[in-house]
Amino acid sequence: MASLSLEGIQKIYPNGFHAVKDFNLEIEDKEFIIFVGPSGCGKSTTLRMVAGLEDISGGTLKIDGKVMNDVEPKDRDIAMVFQNYALYPHMTVYDNMAFGLKLRKVPKDEIDKKVREAARILDLEKLLDRKPKALSGGQRQRVAMGRAIVRNPKVFLMDEPLSNLDAKLRVQMRIEISKLHENLGATIIYVTHDQTEAMTLGTRIVVMKDGVVQQVDTPQNLYNTPCNLFVAGFIGSPQMNFMDAVCKVNGQDVTLTVGDHVLKVPASKKKALIDGGYDGKTVVLGIRPEDVHDSEAFISNSPDSVITSTIKVYELLGAEVFLYFDVEGTQMTARVNPRTTLRTGDKAVFALDMEKIHVFDKETELTITN
Amino acid sequence: MEHTQELAKALAELKRITGITMDVTADSPEEAEQALTQIRCLCTAYREKYNKADFLQGLMTGGIPAYDIAERAARLHINPDEQRILFLFETKEIDETVMEILKSLFPAQTKTYLVPVTERTVAVLRPVRSGESEKDSRRIARMIVDTLNTEALVQIRLSYSFLFDSLTDLPEAFRETSLALRVGRLFYSEQTVFPYNELGIGRLIYQLPVSLCESFLKEIFGADIPNSFDEETLGTVNRFFQNNLNIAETSRQLHMHRNTLIYRLDQIEKHTGLDIRLFEDAMTFRIAIMVLNYLQSERNN
Repeated sequence: MASLSLEGIQKIYPNGFHAVKDFNLEIEDKEFIIFVGPSGCGKSTTLRMVAGLEDISGGTLKIDGKVMNDVEPKDRDIAMVFQNYALYPHMTVYDNMAFGLKLRKVPKDEIDKKVREAARILDLEKLLDRKPKALSGGQRQRVAMGRAIVRNPKVFLMDEPLSNLDAKLRVQMRIEISKLHENLGATIIYVTHDQTEAMTLGTRIVVMKDGVVQQVDTPQNLYNTPCNLFVAGFIGSPQMNFMDAVCKVNGQDVTLTVGDHVLKVPASKKKALIDGGYDGKTVVLGIRPEDVHDSEAFISNSPDSVITSTIKVYELLGAEVFLYFDVEGTQMTARVNPRTTLRTGDKAVFALDMEKIHVFDKETELTITN
Repeated sequence: MEHTQELAKALAELKRITGITMDVTADSPEEAEQALTQIRCLCTAYREKYNKADFLQGLMTGGIPAYDIAERAARLHINPDEQRILFLFETKEIDETVMEILKSLFPAQTKTYLVPVTERTVAVLRPVRSGESEKDSRRIARMIVDTLNTEALVQIRLSYSFLFDSLTDLPEAFRETSLALRVGRLFYSEQTVFPYNELGIGRLIYQLPVSLCESFLKEIFGADIPNSFDEETLGTVNRFFQNNLNIAETSRQLHMHRNTLIYRLDQIEKHTGLDIRLFEDAMTFRIAIMVLNYLQSERNN
């Protein structure tokens, strides 16, 4: 397997469209890196540049220390998996997996060994004689992965491989891919627009927007300490609540005012707001739905972070309940215990866990308190 | 007299396509030359008569008269009245691997014909299956691109035509796909699949005569027509357009102060007379950039 280095990678198309800007990333051997972001953010373009399917307009791509910018894709020792299974409909599973090796004139017995080994890893041994149309979506995607595995590449590149699958299969395949990564010890770059996929699979995640890398971090850090408003809103489902708030510094006390609600900022978050000179300025207050509490015990312990509203929508999901309500014209979501007595139309009191708040600069959208 | 290299090659080609082994005895170079010409004619005639790809290539490029299509198609066992779609793709080089992959993707029994057009382009004439509609065309196009990307690891661009019911419409389908490929390459270079009916304003510009394009640019930029704009200007303008002329959002995305962005927009206005903060001027500027790109490519060609 291999390490990769992307230094100042750029992609500018001949029509002037700047798809990827100054992309810098060091990928260690055996890492599972996820490129995530909304449609058109440049994640697939970056992956295709690594594969050699798009020319690199600027910067340097290295695989195992060797510059790859001008190396032909077939000589980069990579394998790709797309969301399209791209299987040959008239070939059996075995032949589908063997085809790429046959084209490379690999000896028959070696092909057989590699195909059977990949089939074992992917649990496809009993399906080797079947044709693609006799397989389920998940099985077809496993065959597509098998075709990549038999090549024994240095790097696996996966471009939204689960997008064609239904929700249940996707969860199943996520587990399979995770196991595959463990079993093969492979370096994998995986592109997705689905933040759940990103959070569950990646050792590190690259969040992109408009061709620019926003943050590179572990899933946990991205969730807990997003670097800007975009990352905070993109990672997490339901997404983080955001409200405009006016910051007021009074001696050592710092408060955030949202309409009639005055929220006291805890000691751990105060310093950044004072030092940043945010007194009197409007900032963006962010809080995750699970940090908005409706339990009486929490509310009575947090008198300085209480907000009141009327429940607009009550959504029971079994293990949890989502409550939707408005605060000063902004829609908020609370993720609470299903034993809650609150229902649609009820007047509700909530308390925010102020230790978990995130405060962002309204102009630059960068985090202030993380 | 020994066979010249060319004569030996022609004889080998004759054997390859017809199975006929022939020998030539020539007493002089003139006779050898005459024999070479005759063998080449024989090969061409055989290909025209019996080779499906050759027939379809001739048909696509308008080399076969309409009255001859049905008869020649029947001779080659090609149903002239079947609903079909034409895919045309180009890559750096159509090598053995690419052809093998296509043959495996569309085996002979699917009645799909692979027609090499140039060293870099191949046409795929595929019958439309029952239940398939134009909506499926994009899916199939994507499948071809993804398969070639996965297996051959080659860069590829692909266009596709409308669905047509008769082989007599093949030349028109070929014209449309060829145009889509050229227009796509020029104006939508960030994409890989170009449907014939999604070329937008690119098609319009591409079909304008060069002189008209030059007059248009002269009208906008005056006598001093720029060859192109620098990368920084183009990047700024593109981002500004992508954000629907929103200064705050564009400056944020470009990590620049809004005054810097305003200064750049003012500079564009100073040089071109177009204030691209206004919709009318923004539209004119966008079209002008596309026309400039087109002329640039025409000059390069």
